Amino acid sequence: MVEQAEKHLWARLLAWCRSLAGATVIGTIVIALIVTVDRGGYVLVNTIVTGGMTALVAMGLALTLGVLNIPMFAHGEYFMIGSLTAYYVFTPIKTYMETHPESILALWGPLVTIIAAMLVGAVAGVVSEVLVFRQLRQRSRENWVMNSFLLTVGLSVLMINAHQLFFGADFKGITGYFSGMPINIMDVYISKDRAIAFLLAAVVVTGFWLFMTYTRTGRAIRAVSQDETGALIVGIGLNGIMMLTMALSCALAAIAGASLLFMYPAYPSVGLEPLYMAWFVVILSGLGNVLGAVMGAFMVALLKVMTVEYIGSGWDFVVPSALIIVILIFRPSGIFGSEVRGVLDK
Amino acid sequence: MLLEVKNLNAGYGFLQILRDVSLNVDKGEYVCLVGPNGAGKSTTLKTIAGLVKPMSGDILFKGEPIGGLPGNQVARKGISFVSEEMNLFVNMTVNENLAMGAYTIKDKQQQKDRLAFVYDLFPRLVERRNQLAGTMSGGERKMLAIGRGLMSDPTLLLVDEPSFGLAPLLTENVFQSLDTLVKQGMTIMLVEQNVTKTLAVTDRGYVLENGRIELEGRSDDLACDAHVRKVFLGV
Ligand SMILES: Nc1ncnc2c1ncn2[C@@H]1O[C@H](COP(=O)(O)OP(=O)(O)OP(=O)(O)O)[C@@H](O)[C@H]1O
Ligand SMILES: [Mg+2]
Repeated sequence: MVEQAEKHLWARLLAWCRSLAGATVIGTIVIALIVTVDRGGYVLVNTIVTGGMTALVAMGLALTLGVLNIPMFAHGEYFMIGSLTAYYVFTPIKTYMETHPESILALWGPLVTIIAAMLVGAVAGVVSEVLVFRQLRQRSRENWVMNSFLLTVGLSVLMINAHQLFFGADFKGITGYFSGMPINIMDVYISKDRAIAFLLAAVVVTGFWLFMTYTRTGRAIRAVSQDETGALIVGIGLNGIMMLTMALSCALAAIAGASLLFMYPAYPSVGLEPLYMAWFVVILSGLGNVLGAVMGAFMVALLKVMTVEYIGSGWDFVVPSALIIVILIFRPSGIFGSEVRGVLDK
Repeated sequence: MLLEVKNLNAGYGFLQILRDVSLNVDKGEYVCLVGPNGAGKSTTLKTIAGLVKPMSGDILFKGEPIGGLPGNQVARKGISFVSEEMNLFVNMTVNENLAMGAYTIKDKQQQKDRLAFVYDLFPRLVERRNQLAGTMSGGERKMLAIGRGLMSDPTLLLVDEPSFGLAPLLTENVFQSLDTLVKQGMTIMLVEQNVTKTLAVTDRGYVLENGRIELEGRSDDLACDAHVRKVFLGV
């Protein structure tokens, strides 16, 4: 019995390795290792940190696509809201710490900051859903994809300009959440900030996955993304689920913005780069495919890091975009197929 | 009366489909709604289920107005709609689909009881319980759709064309399951293409043509009616 089950598992594992998805994942890992050997461990660290954070942004984007059916162009602005909140929460904490180095805030200050950013991001998501998208949804669902897309473009411009108007266009950044020596693992130096950023991404992605798979509400979100009418029929309220989805996906982007404040200071259009990265990921892994987005995020991150490493930092968007064009031509549904089929042609 | 529909007008956007539709269903009854293609049968069920907004008229369930409520609230009142398209969650397994059907039930034990009940009614679903709904055959999907509809322990079951696209043997199976349910006291409103068969098994029926109720009566009377025979049976 057990042997048979084991055999079955092996067969499935082998089949997966031979599938396009498996091959790409394994290929990515191999390439990452080769590059690491060639150039040094920091390449791997960069890939993993960038990948983890891109995963947070891309997962949220995939979620808005899958559940609300919105091709979100303003998603980077929730990243921006996260970094802005983090800046204004962490700056006073830091000043306080300078005079009270023994305070427990030295350890918990960064976490408090990131949680504050997460909450503000979630609220921003709920507000956009209730004041903008719900209004459109109630008026007309004709041409929904195009209309909602245009709305998100407007929202993006609005938020970028609001930032500039109220907070100014300068860079509002910090040197780091943690001071002190970087951690040394096998001769690779990792700053504490990067290590924490990656740990946080890992925890959040895992927690999110557990939530979507095992909780009643998580299942309801998946149900809405797979069949809206079916969800209504079994008694799931769409308004609540859509609001929650926006809260979640915007909170994820805000967490990324806050965790990366030491790399990307807050300024009006700081969200554009993560937005493009997230779109690359979502197109690569299939629209609306939330788990695929996690894998895709690491691939895009590796591609970006490699481009910077071997070609030059000016090219880091050119190579991924070229790849996306090729993928769209040969595999319009993405490498992992789409968990939520036909999100855009519903 | 369990369900009363009075002078219902409904449609899509500016396009009106239903005109002054009135019908009612008593507790424990097996009622059918038949009519030619495009008559508005599905629209009638969708409007009752809260998926289409009525333009005017009343829908009362257990004496309480439910017209215009969104579908999820209608479902919570005890009406289960098994649509023509089935609207299954294609990337969830049979088990997960059924679990979603019990979304409104909080009690764990009751959820288990319902699952046992559905697996008892459709033993075939037991074999397939870990298969994705999207990869199942048409007949299995129909059973799953009906099973999911039953998971919430509904008072009224609205079924739209359960035999559509099924082989005769499977059609027979589905009809038998519905029969079993009625014998156990379930109230069913059935929409079907297969008029002869439907009128043979149901208690009462309504004939819908161009969005209007043209005839109503006991099913065996309708089966002998000259108009019905001319329109549906071509004799
Ligand atoms: N979503 C929609 N938007 C616009 N018109 C619709 C829509 N759904 C149905 N209709 C129209 O409403 C009319 C009635 O459709 P309905 O599906 O209720 O018919 P039906 O009696 O169920 O037919 P059938 O036996 O073919 O299932 C048809 O003319 C159809 O074209
Ligand atoms: Mg129909």
